[in-house]
This record gives sequence, C-alpha cells and structure tokens, in this order.
Amino acid sequence: MNLDFLLYLAINTLVVIAVSPLFVSLIKKIKARTQGRQGPTVFQTYYTLIKLLKKEVIYSPNSSRIMRVTPLVTMAAILVAALFVPLVFVPEPVGGIGNIILFLYLLALARFFMALAGLDAGSSFGGMGSSREMSISSIIEPTTIIVFAALAFVFKTLNIFDMFTLNASTGSPSPSTLILIGISLFIIIIVETSRIPVDNPETHLELTMIHEGMILEQSGRNLALMELSAAVKMTVLMALLINLIVPFGLMTTLTLAGLLIAIVVFVVKGSILAGIIGLFESSMAKKRFFQLPSLFAMAFFFSTLIIIIAVFS
Amino acid sequence: MTSDTDIGIRAAQEFLGTDLLKDRINAGPYDEQYVRIEETEFESAVTHLAANKFVLISLFCCEGFTANAAQTLFYVFERRTSILVLVRGVNGQATSVADLYPAASWFERECRDGFGVEFAGAFDTRRLFLHETYPEGFHPLKKSFKNAPVVTKKTVDPAGEYPFREVSGEGVYQVPVGPVHAGIIEPGHFRFSVIGESIFNLEVRMFYKHRGIEKLAEGKTPQECVRIAEAVSGDESVANATAFCMAIEKISRVPVPERAWYLRTILMELERLCSHLGDQAGMLVDVAYPLGASQFSVLREECFRENDRLTGSRFLRGMVSPGGLNRDIPKAQLDELAAFVHQMRNRYKVGLKIVLSTASVIDRFATTGVIRPALLRPLNITGPAARASGGKVDVRVNHPYGIYDKFAPRVPRLRDGDVLSRFTIKASEVMDSLDLIERLIAAMPEGAVRSDAPVRDGYTLAMVESARGQNLCWVWIKGGVIERYKVRTASFCNWLAIEHAVQGNIVPDFPVINKSLNLSYAGTDL
Repeated sequence: MNLDFLLYLAINTLVVIAVSPLFVSLIKKIKARTQGRQGPTVFQTYYTLIKLLKKEVIYSPNSSRIMRVTPLVTMAAILVAALFVPLVFVPEPVGGIGNIILFLYLLALARFFMALAGLDAGSSFGGMGSSREMSISSIIEPTTIIVFAALAFVFKTLNIFDMFTLNASTGSPSPSTLILIGISLFIIIIVETSRIPVDNPETHLELTMIHEGMILEQSGRNLALMELSAAVKMTVLMALLINLIVPFGLMTTLTLAGLLIAIVVFVVKGSILAGIIGLFESSMAKKRFFQLPSLFAMAFFFSTLIIIIAVFS
Repeated sequence: MTSDTDIGIRAAQEFLGTDLLKDRINAGPYDEQYVRIEETEFESAVTHLAANKFVLISLFCCEGFTANAAQTLFYVFERRTSILVLVRGVNGQATSVADLYPAASWFERECRDGFGVEFAGAFDTRRLFLHETYPEGFHPLKKSFKNAPVVTKKTVDPAGEYPFREVSGEGVYQVPVGPVHAGIIEPGHFRFSVIGESIFNLEVRMFYKHRGIEKLAEGKTPQECVRIAEAVSGDESVANATAFCMAIEKISRVPVPERAWYLRTILMELERLCSHLGDQAGMLVDVAYPLGASQFSVLREECFRENDRLTGSRFLRGMVSPGGLNRDIPKAQLDELAAFVHQMRNRYKVGLKIVLSTASVIDRFATTGVIRPALLRPLNITGPAARASGGKVDVRVNHPYGIYDKFAPRVPRLRDGDVLSRFTIKASEVMDSLDLIERLIAAMPEGAVRSDAPVRDGYTLAMVESARGQNLCWVWIKGGVIERYKVRTASFCNWLAIEHAVQGNIVPDFPVINKSLNLSYAGTDL
C-alpha cells in the first residue's frame, strides 16, 4: 500500500460525501422546475441532513438490535463500495478494491440490512417496502450482473480501477458500445436508487412506497445515515457511468491543481447527469409494480448486445 | 319524460291495488310520492320494487312523524325521474331489506345507531357511526336525548373491539391502513386482506369525525341551518346548502328569483370545477406523474382564488340562502369570471393533452379499479363514478332543479368503469362546466337575488348533483324550526363501491383508485 492509495481513500470518501447531497437536491430542483415550482435550494439536502443529525433517535418498542445497527452497517457498506469507484483520481488498485463482483455484493449487503430493518419495526408499511425491494432486487440482480459482465468483456478486466485507467489512457471503446453501456447503466441507476418509474422518492403514500417504506421507522441520526447512504450510493453509480462514458478530467497521477480541476469537472458532469435524471423522472409516471421487469429487460438486452459485439468484433 | 314520473305511482298501484293506494298516497313538494305501508305489505312491496329496477337511494328514520308508531322509516326509491318513498311506521323493530338492497346495510346500521331500531335478518349488525367507545344503549338522534357532551369509555376491552370481516387462508395477510395517514387527508381506516401484492378483500371503516350534524340542526331556524348544511362537507358547501335551501323553498313555496338561480348554478359549477381539478391532480400525483399533476393543481388554486374574489370565500361559502342568495355578484365581476373561464379552458386543454399523450399514465389508469356496471343498482353508485361505468344518472338531467331544464348539461357515459374512464368523464365534465358558466353569464337576467317569505311547516325531499354525485336531503319543519334534517351525500353511497373496485388490483394502485372516486369522509360522517 502506497501513499497515493492512502490519499485516494481519504479524497474519494470526502468528495463522495461532500457532493452527493448536492446531486440529490439538484434532481429535486429540476423536477420542481418542470412542474412550474421554485423548489427548495440546492443546499436543502445538506440542511436536512444536519437537522436530522441533531435530532434524537426514537425506536419502536417492537424493534430489535437490527434497527440499531442497520444505519451503521448500511453506511459502512456503501462507503466501502464508494472506494471501489474512483470519482476524481484513479491510483493503482490494491488488494480486492475495485473488484466489480465485490462491489455488487457490498451494495447487496446494504440492501439486505435495509430490508431487515424494514421488517424489524413490525409496521405493515416497512414489511411491504422490504418485500417489494426484495422482489425487485431478485429481478434486477441478474441484470446488474450481465451489465457488469458486459463491462468486463469490453475492458477485459474485472477491476473498475483498470477500466477507468484503460478508458482514460488508451481512449474509449467504440461509440456504439458506449451508448449501449450508457443506457444499461442509466437504468441500473434508476432502479438502484429507487426513482420514477420504479419508485417515487417524494411520495407521501405509504401504500406505494418501496425504499421510503423501509426507512419509514427510522428517525434522527439514523435517518440521516440512511438518507446519506442512499445519496452516496446514487453518486457512486453516477460516477461509474460518468467516468466510463466521459472520462475527461479524471486524474491518474495526483497533483493538487489536477485534483481541484478534477473535482470541479466531476461536479459539473455529475450535475448534468442529475439534470438528465430529473428530466427523465418528470417525463413519465411510475410503472405498475408487476411491469417493472420490462424496464430491467431493456438493460439486460442492451448488455447482452454489448457482450455479443465484444465477442464477435 | 312525463310518463316516467308515473312509474312510481304505477308500481305502487301494482303492489297495493288502486283502491288501497288512494288514501295512502300523498305527493311531496318535490314531486316525490309518499306511500304509507303496513308491516304485512312491506316485504312484497320491496320485492316488487326490486324486481322493477327501482334503486334504494336513501333510507332514514324519524321520530314522532305519525301518532301510532314510535319511529317512521322512509325508504326512498328512484327509477329514472320518478321518486317513491315508502313510509313505514315501526316500534324499535323492523325487518331488513339488505338482502335485496345491499346499499341498505349502511342505512340500516345508521338508523340503528341513531334511533335504536333493530333490523331483523340483517347480515351486518355492527355499529356504524358510533364507535366502540360510545356507551351501550346510546342513540343520539332520539328526541329524548338532549344534545350534550357524551361520556365515552376510556378503554375498550379486546372483546368489544370492532370485528372486521375475517378473511383467512394460506398466504392471506391483513394490512391495516389508517385512520392516521402520512398525507394531509381525512381519517379513514382501510383493512386490506392481501395475497402478496394482490388485494383479496378490502373493508372500509369510516366515521372517525362524527360531528352530530343532524342533531345540531334540530331546533334551528332554516336561516341558521344553512351554515350547518355548508359544513357537511367543505368542498360540497354550495351543493349541500343549495339542496337544503331548495327544500326550505319548496316547503314554504318561496319563488326564487331567476337571477339567483343563474348565480347559484354558476357557483355549483365552479365547485364542481375545483373538485374535478383536484381529483385529476391527485390521480396524477398518485401514479407519480407530478409534471401532469401540477397542470391541474395550478388551475385549481387559481379557481379557488377566483372563488375568493367572487364571493369572499375560497369554498364559496356564505352565498346561498333560503329564497336566493345573500349577495348579488356585480356585472363587472361576472365579466371578469367570463374572461377567467375563457383562458382557463385553453390552459386546461394544454394540461389534458400533456397527460393523455403520456403512455405511462394511460397504462396505469386503464383497467385499474374497475367498477362493474352490475354493481351500480344494488349499491346505488352515483355521480361520475356511475357514469364511468355506463350509468345514466345525473340529478341535473333526471330531476332538473333551478334552471338546469334550460341549461341541461351533457351527460357523458363510458362503459369501462376503470380509473381512466373516471378521469375522462371528469375531464369532459370540466369542459362542460366551463361552457355552462360562460353560457350562464351571457344569458344572465337582471333583477333581485332574493325573495323573502315566511317559513311554513312541512317536509320534503330535495336533491342536487354535487361534484361527487347525487346529494339528497330531507327536511321537516315543525313550528318554524327544523324538526329533522337528514343529509345523504354521494360519498356515503360510493364508499361501498371502492371495496369492490380494488379487488384483484395491487396494493400500490389503491391510492389512485381511491383518488379517482375522491370520496368525502366528512360528507359520509355527519
């Protein structure tokens, strides 16, 4: 383990925590604008998180230890997963860090605990949320694996770091492959971060909730951790898409000036993607729950196409 | 149409015989036919009416109406334009008609709670509006009960809890929802029995906000009671106040100036507009399409503000009064309203186009929450919900009141009975209301807006078409004050429809089905 890598760990974690609330707010802002509303400021998510951190935690008398450890486990798993996707600076990978399969299962671990916590408090909505999340994840997981397998085929590596370095140094794969990867990853982002048309992050209707249903019983500091981990997860998946499609600005050797430029460039690219997500969400209604697989099938189909192209070209 | 008004009389002739009917029948001021019926004839009469496609639109109880019976039950039947009221004297005991008319179940339970009348043979004898905490033997609508705070039970033992219908089987789970909800909505409890995501059964429990409106009205003068009528349901203020005032006007034979009716009609159509716009926005929020929803919620808010400019109340309160209106609306304001309606129509069309060209919205609306046409008659489903399922019912056309005979609305009908049909029906009614308001402003006569006349004694039925459907009231005036004021809003009937509409749908679709019917909790629970 070298100094560069230790610096990477610190930089990546700090940047991802710092920028992810911004992206969440940006999506909200864009959606508000499409509806003709002013919307909250782009700093609203920061204020909300700080407010929640100051509030006391209330546990349901029916809840067990699961409820208490879940926010920590989720946050930890997501932060470790965040280390697998370099945002602004790609060092030499060390150990298993950057492994695409490990990355997927860290996300799965977080989701598993979130679903357990949803059941734990014994409220009917938490249980419904968990049940739906698990149904969706059992369908989206094979799709995600195929998408990542396609990436592995295209870049001939299982490590995200190597994909990024390859992408930044020797140039991107052909535009057709990039478009297909882009669409597949975009769908993964929508599904994994519970956005319209899969789930509605802004709903007040308990009966329709998926992600919100699972964290309905969370409060105070724990809710802040759950919200932040969801934001970080979204930023990490967005970074994966951004740094594969438009690697411009991504550093491979560490300099202070380069770092600042890279951060600015990343925030700009991320904001644009957040805007696209906001517009995408505004353009359609939520799908019927049992019709969701048709959305995943699209990602599945495009990824299979990437693999076929990669194998036969 | 004229031959239709005799249907009721002819049916009564058939089950009673012409000779017997002569001294049993009397016509009310609203052209409703009251037929006194003996206990021995009752069952065959109801069976006959059921076989002849009469719909039981209301059933209510009244004390002291006749000398020889403690309570009098009024069974209000409707077929096309004809209304027949069976008047049945009972002494705390009656037989149930819920098997023939399932809609009667709630009515009978309501009578039981209010007056202590037991209905033998009823399939459901649970309490309705009096929840468990009210003491046994407490019947607030009896004249012997003086309106005062009630001592309720502090705790309810598990055996005394409200028994929900039990649905059991492999994989059937109970999901209790409410009465406290995450959004800012009225209280109601929904007990779902689900298999996975599919709804197997739903039982609705309402009556969490009982205010004792009927009791409150007793002893008040008609003028005082208008405020009470307006409070039955906030967004049906004009409809309920108009129904009440119509009843007073019919009883006292007050001629209402024409201009008052024109203005009342404008107010009623504005109320319909606000309600439908809110429903449409809500339906789109519930399928997570806020872009479309904002089109309608913005228009609704502007409509409320226009209401405020016209009448000083966003909910159009304080305008309608017996004999006409409290205030005139000057011409300048009406011209402004015409301009508002004109630009509103254009913006509404834009919003509608956005929504109806979004495939994902149509996909969520179509085939969701179907109300089968076969349910319309037994459950007495009314209003846009009925018209979306092939029903040909609209009080404005069937029993035209005020000036609706001159300005008859179109009655759009669809047959699918799903959320999409209800959305489309409401859209067409919004367009129709806008047209109607413009036509009314153009044809507005000059003159007074109120005529005063002394209050006379008597009783009558009165009905209006609110945004949700047929709102009915029955008023009995005795000694110049209200002796009995019974309101039955459209929501009271349509709540039973939702239990059927959601079956086989998935739980996440419930909010949009609920919103497509948009029922008033307050209007159900008086």
